[in-house]
Amino acid sequence: MRPLTEPETKTLFEKLAAYCGKGIQDLITAGGTDDRHVFRVQGSRVYYVRESLANLATSVKRDNLLSLGTCLGKFTKTGKFRLHITALSIIAPHARYKIWVKANGEMPFLYGGNVLKAHVGRWSEDCPEHQGVIVLSMNDTYLGFGVSARSTAEARKLDPTGVVAFRQADIGEYLREEDTLFTT
Amino acid sequence: MGSTKTMGKGKPSSKGGKSGGASSKKGGARSKPTGSAPEGISKRKQKSMALAKPGGAQKTKANLANPHKPKRRKYTEKELDIPALNSIIPAGIAKPKGQKKGKKFVDDPASMMAIMSVVNAEKDKNVESKIMRARQLEEIREAKRKEAEERSEEKKAKFEETKKGLKKKRKSRHSDPGRIEDVDDEVPEKTSKPKKKRVSFG
Repeated sequence: MRPLTEPETKTLFEKLAAYCGKGIQDLITAGGTDDRHVFRVQGSRVYYVRESLANLATSVKRDNLLSLGTCLGKFTKTGKFRLHITALSIIAPHARYKIWVKANGEMPFLYGGNVLKAHVGRWSEDCPEHQGVIVLSMNDTYLGFGVSARSTAEARKLDPTGVVAFRQADIGEYLREEDTLFTT
Repeated sequence: MGSTKTMGKGKPSSKGGKSGGASSKKGGARSKPTGSAPEGISKRKQKSMALAKPGGAQKTKANLANPHKPKRRKYTEKELDIPALNSIIPAGIAKPKGQKKGKKFVDDPASMMAIMSVVNAEKDKNVESKIMRARQLEEIREAKRKEAEERSEEKKAKFEETKKGLKKKRKSRHSDPGRIEDVDDEVPEKTSKPKKKRVSFG
């Protein structure tokens, strides 16, 4: 387990910025100066951990340490960063753009489908295309996140079966990817 | 022959000199020059013979002839400015001396903030440009749509006018016979047609 290097931090922040915008600042400063939260790499996975916990974890052998804190995602072998569904609880409160899905669209989304226009209850204004969006149910439960397929203005003219947001991760993965989600 | 023997014994080296000295003791002749130089050969010849031995450096005649010729100046490599062979070092390999090896970790909030601000600035620029482009496209589309609407409205209006005109014509035909006459005068062929229709075989 080690802190991130400069290029690693940059790639991680680029990914997070797609969803959070300037909300990353809150992630860095969270916990104040006494017990702030830090980013740590274990294997290829990146964890968002309380610093005191990260310091304690140094006493655990690298091979024996399976996980700590909240897993944000992992670095691929090509050096890109892939966000996992486990990061949802961290990025969602700071999200810039959101899409609320109606009850009839919840299940299709949780089974891995994209968000259709017919299923959208409401959406954030002025969202450009290919921007990270958080998907919520109408009672403000975080369901997952995705990437906007169209800008809000264009999406208005779309037919009801048109895709509004491409799914990236959804909480259905906790069941679907149960075997591989937490293995290194 | 005797001279050659003495040469073998008494070499021009210091050792030979000593041995020569010993032999002179035996002979009983004591003199400085006999100890250092063998008898019967001039100094110059002796020197040349010693150099003729295998392994010894041979001097050229010219050099011997002119020993006080000024030496040629030897240039150092730096002075000559000769490009060194294989001197190109690839950019990736060249590392400044004294630099620490290994990864540079970013763990303090200040440096993380710096990276974040750089990333955010880039993203914001992208997002803004996207939004601007989308708005511009939207404006263009709106303008085109308005134009098309206006055109269709004009067409409709024209169509309605022609319709109305035709209707008026029809009405005026039925109601105003005097006018029909006028029309008949103008276009006699058209009025003759209904007359033809009235003609019946029965």
